[in-house]
Amino acid sequence: MASGYIVNRGALTLGIHYRNVCRTTTFTQIREKKRWMKSYTYIMEKKRKIEGTPPPKPRSQKPNWDYHAEVQAFNCRLHENFSLELLKTAFVNPCYIESEQKRRQDLGMDSETIALVLKGNIELRLQGSDFTTSFLNDWCRASFPRLHSDGVAAVVAHLTSSTVVCHVARNLGIEDLTMSAEFPIPDDVLHATLMAVIGALLESSGAERAGFFLRDFFATQLIGKDLFDMWTVVNPMGLLMEELAQKNMSAPEPRLIRSAGASTVLPLYFVGLYSDKKLLAQGPGDTVIAAEEEASRVALRNLYGFTDNRRPSDFSTMKQQHQPVQFVGCN
Amino acid sequence: MTSRGTPSRFLQSVLQNGVGRYVCQLKRISIIFSKNAQSSLGVREFIEEGVVDYAKKNPGTVVYVSPNTCRIPKIVAEYLNGNVREEMVTSQTSKEILELITKLTNQSGLDIIRLRKPFHTDSPSIQGQWHPFTNRPPSIGPIRPLP
Repeated sequence: MASGYIVNRGALTLGIHYRNVCRTTTFTQIREKKRWMKSYTYIMEKKRKIEGTPPPKPRSQKPNWDYHAEVQAFNCRLHENFSLELLKTAFVNPCYIESEQKRRQDLGMDSETIALVLKGNIELRLQGSDFTTSFLNDWCRASFPRLHSDGVAAVVAHLTSSTVVCHVARNLGIEDLTMSAEFPIPDDVLHATLMAVIGALLESSGAERAGFFLRDFFATQLIGKDLFDMWTVVNPMGLLMEELAQKNMSAPEPRLIRSAGASTVLPLYFVGLYSDKKLLAQGPGDTVIAAEEEASRVALRNLYGFTDNRRPSDFSTMKQQHQPVQFVGCN
Repeated sequence: MTSRGTPSRFLQSVLQNGVGRYVCQLKRISIIFSKNAQSSLGVREFIEEGVVDYAKKNPGTVVYVSPNTCRIPKIVAEYLNGNVREEMVTSQTSKEILELITKLTNQSGLDIIRLRKPFHTDSPSIQGQWHPFTNRPPSIGPIRPLP
């Protein structure tokens, strides 16, 4: 109905225009108040309301897009020396190759002309994810030498989890360059692409540069994070007892050291944990049990060296010796 | 509107930028101008004089120059976090445009809204959070939870 109305309106406007010009002229422009504009915008708005907002388009289908220049800029922006072919391979997901091949077949071309000369990033992503896990494991062990091995595993699992990796990938502009069958790009594809980029870096610049990349973009995600947000410990008191037993210290002895407002709606208790008559930690809570648990968590954080006021990790050892190659594409 | 009603955010950076290494947050910039309109005179001048130098200086930014029939020349800046900023450069001189582009390059791409505080820390207190017993001497005598 809407389109019919538009055609009608167009014919009407054309009719008005034709009346004003001579026969030889096929088109003329009239400067006047565009009275048809109001109803036209009204109909377009109504159409949008019925059809819903149009689906998001990938950046590569919008104007001003040069894939080669974008990949080069990605390389320079991160101050890395990727081999560009490997980097381009890293962005090609197998799902994209499949869908592209299917699309070309559906267009009815013969199989020789439609053959795709693209390699998927499966090998690169395997390499990348292996290297990521091993490097982050080593880095965590080096930065938190006293941390329990379960804790290290939990921290590494947090850093390589889908949420953190996708957050990093989205803020590095990888989403635009990724070739994927679907858009918006699903999280697992984005995760795999970033891993493939790390794999490409590992192949082209070696393990040291790839390690710096991981340290600069993944390890920094630990800033401001609490240990027990990443590592779910159900029974912190049991863990603390194990840890103390390993160190040949006597078992922790919880004591109520302070309390206030016990008969009000906001009671406050402080529980201190003593071992060998020495205060290990104290923690607050609104019941005695909660305070004891909090105190044991505080004690664990102190034992593992993962307190809020720990010395910040050193991110500065990388020397920016080599400047990236200057690229200016003329297209 | 009062300042409480306006949108606000804390001071932050994208992906802890600068802790490890500095990454220029501007990923691409498109200069949209007209080839013959009076209003894009300054933009045309800038494209003749300064755009190549700018692109050489910032290899991490893709610069697109697209002539269009338009009255209002625009500079569209896209940032790594997905934000897009459009700046009108009607009748501006080449120098002003260079200043604007330099400003866009140095920005982080986060929304330009009121900052609640000009500083931010992830661990707000080194001594620990205040509680009613801070700086109080330890209590003397037995303590027991009252019912």
